[in-house]
Amino acid sequence: METTLDLSTLNLAVVLPELTLIVFAILVMAADVFATPKNPAPRQWTPWIALAGVVAAAIVNLSVSGREVTLFQGAAILDKFAVGLNYIILLATGLGILLSVKYIPRINKQVGEYYALTLLTATGMMMMGAALDLITLFLALEIFSLALYILSGLNRTSPRSTEAAIKYFLLGAFSSAFFAYGGALIYAGTGTTQYYGIAQVTAAGLANTPLLYAGIALLVAGFGFKVSLVPFHSWTPDVYQGAPTPVTAFMSVGTKAAAFAAFFRVMLVALPFSYGAWSMPLALLAVITMAVGNFAALQQRSLKRMLAYSSIAHAGYILTALAGGAAEGADAALFYLFTYAFMNIGAFAVVMALEEMGAEDAMQDRAKGLGKTHPIMAFLMAIFMFGLSGMPPLAGFYGKVLLFEAAVAGGMIWLAIAAVAFTAVGAVYYLRVIANMYFADPVDESADEVNRSLPLDVGLAIAVAGTILVGVFPGFWMNAFQQSMALFGG
Amino acid sequence: MSLPEMSALFPTLQEVIFVLFALLIAVTSLIAAMAPNLFHNALGLVATLFGIAGIYFMLEAEFVGVSQILVYIGAIATLITFAIMLTRGMMFGRTSAMNRQGLAGAIISGLFFVVLLGIVFQVPWPNVVADITDGEALIANLGALFVSTYLLPFELLALLLLVALTGALLLARDR
Amino acid sequence: MEFLNSWVLPIILFWPAVAALLIFITNDERMIKWGSILASLLPLGLSIYLLAAYDQGVGGMQFVVDIPWIEPLNASFALGADGLSVPLIFLTTLLSTLSIYYSAGTIRYRVKEYFLMFQLLELSMLGVFMALDYVLFYVFWEISLVPMYLLIGIWGGKNRGYASIKFFIYTLVGSVAMLLAILGTYYATGTFNILDAAAAKPFMNLPADQALLLSSLAFWGFFLGFAFKVPSFPFHTWLPDAHTEAPTAGSVILAGVLLKLGAYGFLRIILPTFPSTSAYWSMWIVALGAIAIVYGAFVCIAQTDLKRLIAYSSVSHMGYVMLGIGAAASAMGRNPDGTSMLNDPAVFDSAAMAINGALLQMFMHGIITGALFLLVGVIYERAHTRALDKFGGLGTLTPYYYGFFLVAGFASLGLPGLAGFWAEFFTFRGAFALVPLWAAFGVIGIVMTAVYILWRIMQSLFFGEYDSTKLDHWTTVTGEHADGPTDMVAFEKLTLWPLIIGMFVLGFFPMLVLNYFNSFSVGMLESIRTLF
Repeated sequence: METTLDLSTLNLAVVLPELTLIVFAILVMAADVFATPKNPAPRQWTPWIALAGVVAAAIVNLSVSGREVTLFQGAAILDKFAVGLNYIILLATGLGILLSVKYIPRINKQVGEYYALTLLTATGMMMMGAALDLITLFLALEIFSLALYILSGLNRTSPRSTEAAIKYFLLGAFSSAFFAYGGALIYAGTGTTQYYGIAQVTAAGLANTPLLYAGIALLVAGFGFKVSLVPFHSWTPDVYQGAPTPVTAFMSVGTKAAAFAAFFRVMLVALPFSYGAWSMPLALLAVITMAVGNFAALQQRSLKRMLAYSSIAHAGYILTALAGGAAEGADAALFYLFTYAFMNIGAFAVVMALEEMGAEDAMQDRAKGLGKTHPIMAFLMAIFMFGLSGMPPLAGFYGKVLLFEAAVAGGMIWLAIAAVAFTAVGAVYYLRVIANMYFADPVDESADEVNRSLPLDVGLAIAVAGTILVGVFPGFWMNAFQQSMALFGG
Repeated sequence: MSLPEMSALFPTLQEVIFVLFALLIAVTSLIAAMAPNLFHNALGLVATLFGIAGIYFMLEAEFVGVSQILVYIGAIATLITFAIMLTRGMMFGRTSAMNRQGLAGAIISGLFFVVLLGIVFQVPWPNVVADITDGEALIANLGALFVSTYLLPFELLALLLLVALTGALLLARDR
Repeated sequence: MEFLNSWVLPIILFWPAVAALLIFITNDERMIKWGSILASLLPLGLSIYLLAAYDQGVGGMQFVVDIPWIEPLNASFALGADGLSVPLIFLTTLLSTLSIYYSAGTIRYRVKEYFLMFQLLELSMLGVFMALDYVLFYVFWEISLVPMYLLIGIWGGKNRGYASIKFFIYTLVGSVAMLLAILGTYYATGTFNILDAAAAKPFMNLPADQALLLSSLAFWGFFLGFAFKVPSFPFHTWLPDAHTEAPTAGSVILAGVLLKLGAYGFLRIILPTFPSTSAYWSMWIVALGAIAIVYGAFVCIAQTDLKRLIAYSSVSHMGYVMLGIGAAASAMGRNPDGTSMLNDPAVFDSAAMAINGALLQMFMHGIITGALFLLVGVIYERAHTRALDKFGGLGTLTPYYYGFFLVAGFASLGLPGLAGFWAEFFTFRGAFALVPLWAAFGVIGIVMTAVYILWRIMQSLFFGEYDSTKLDHWTTVTGEHADGPTDMVAFEKLTLWPLIIGMFVLGFFPMLVLNYFNSFSVGMLESIRTLF
């Protein structure tokens, strides 16, 4: 048995955006080395180097996006779907960096490593969408998860941040174990870890079905942890609340986008022929997730916890499209996650501005009277809240329409009905924030200072512009994400 | 009763060794998880890893087995042990490994075990396995695969290490 | 003219957006107020132009604009107006102008946001009446919630937080059900165009039982969406709260236009798109309508708060609309021999009458209840209470106010010669022929309407002797102290005169709006008749 390296399949274009980010991550670390107590300037450049890396990766992404579907030796793929995911991840990373510029130095001086890790996280997330082999997928997952465990514990003086990191790490390690076990069982059931190979074997009916199904179940549990589906969600509120807010903002979108992208690709590319086995369990998971997420969010007093439960609910919405099993579901999820990046990071940015110096959390009370004291912040928050609740003509609306359309297209009409009903429940807690801001009087006049800075303002401007413009002219982006996934045999 | 029939009643030597290793793994991993002293936990972990290496050897995956011993026992477990021994409180302290959720955890893992058991009995295990090439060719093959089919995962591993290093720096360095 | 005719709808629609933008960058309160009033005159003028320019001889959709919008969704930016929407667009712009004018005199805090919200509100309502595309329709439908939610929540009464969120959530529940129905209709027809979907008659090519099931699902989805908005009994519970807490101008728009959006949806979407399914379920619409008429009227009698009373009278009056729509729907089915029931000219005429009655009721109710809410606002600005037992004997002290209230009240109870009469006449004329029992039941409501208007409102407010001990704190409309009730001032009179005149004019010449409505209803029924 002789294995030779076939250079023609060594298609670097597939991982070019990721490589760009890695290069810039190294640049960030290199710049950090030159910072001394006397001359801290290079350290202050690191966010801008990281941002330049994000922009450069986006440009590279644009330049590779025209190509046809290309494979990297069956381990990774570059299709519209991967390119689309890259944009979402880069958007979230860019916004996350903008949010971090003023915030991170307050809690941890080692900003160089912070930005390097952020870029490496993004690299791992992007690989999730490109992975076409369970091994690649697992490694990508580990890369970004490991980085996020560390980032969420960045504030070492805060017990809550440390607790978040430990909790995230333990449960994350647990989910990785599920993931690896699931992948191993699928390998045992089909004899391959490559998506196309798995599809081939299952299509031909050669798979060892009990092993395959057990593998799928464990894999779903692993993904469930990452995208926080109920009952694998218990870490979400604590980590979202405890982690530094810019990290929360970044990971709430990035993790979800990356894990869902991989989830869709595994299910639709590798396991479409087992659809009968996984569609109904996923539909039920979606219903439970939407129910728990929405109803728990109703009861939260902390804005960050409210957003955490809302993100669980949103995971449920996205899952409806996957349970439908139609290829449009992947496009819908991408578009939705794209809009979600603007709205959710925007909301976290406002929450961050509301956090008092030193305090780590903003309560609902903090929003009271904001419409009077800080009309612009209140307006922005209102836009994000309406957007998240799916109010047209903001971006979130079309995302939801596409998701539920995909569920209907997959024949899951009852699921779409349930999802729509939960959307109405969800509106209650988003509206409560708006009601607090506009209908109530400020609780504490003295604490109405808002932490703003130029980078944060830029981030907020991008987020609000995206929420509104993608909402009014969604066509371009829908096109960009249409028929995105290179399906098996398609 | 003929000899082969009679011998079928008795476990083969391989089966005996497997059961021994399995028992070792089960018992020591319980120690690793539940012993009240952290040092005992660590020792349990070492033994568990050793047992898993044994299973690898039985599967004729010598390379993986050796790596397991070298990396996990030789490096990681040693590191853990050192870290514990250097910290008095950890070395001699006694903390319960149980909390209020012990019962729920036991029930859930018990259920999980039952489910796995069900799968084990349901799976039509193949009787014939593929031929395994001799050790040296296997390792050569493995090496070749790392730079061909699995080049990307191999490089990703490097990236993972980079992340771990950077993260360790971020966590451990003085503020 | 050519240019104007092809672009008049987008101009009317987006002018409020331009006005909102101008308000956004202005900081002077006087300028904002006067600017809003002036800005609102343009859509009003253009909607009068619409009335004049709409060619009734040709009928159908005119002034159509159709621009591709979200191509991946097949959604287009399609606007148009026909005999159904032209008068309603006029009603919207008229009430918006009057409300803005009235608000300029009464709103004292957060002025900028208020007038901004009002422009957005006008935009969204006009959008619903003009949209010919489901996505566009839904977008405007949902936008209309936001400014109304904020209007109630910020400028409302004591209990405004509860009332505003209740309003929002109830309507949202309805509209998400509608969204599913829209998606279902899209899957059945492949188009988001409202007219094309109606022409395609979704689900009808399927086997009969499947067709009934699927189209019923879509029907009830739409039904929920519109019934919450109308609001039809038993979906009306948000209405009294919202009305009671809303600022006066908000109530005027809420009762005058927003409720009409629901009824408009029945006539624009449900009846033309699902005629046989509507016929199948028509008795539900009829029954809910008739129950609303009677129930609303009885509840009115029990009210002690003047504004809540008017709010329940809206429930009752919108019941007429539902009754008319349901009666017409009942005529859209087939005879036992498979021919259309509308082939019988008598049935056809009755159905047309019922729809015309419902439409007239929509229009007249907009004018009458708009006026009534303004009149409630007039007294509330002075007495700062709406409790009926605190008043009495105002007839001699505030004759002008008394006169206006008398006209609006009589119009509301359907006195011949005033606007409300024709609406009730046509509705019941059509309904008695098609659904006699329920129509007879609904007549109880007419009687009770007279009771609550005359006994509860007129008696409590105006008759008897004025007793100064009942209420010792009176102010003028500008908030200065007054010794007793003062009569209406110029800007209040100016707000109400157009509505009062309208009640008389339409009372004698209902054909002024009926012609438009009739061209729509006959056209729709004709297209359904020729189906089978």
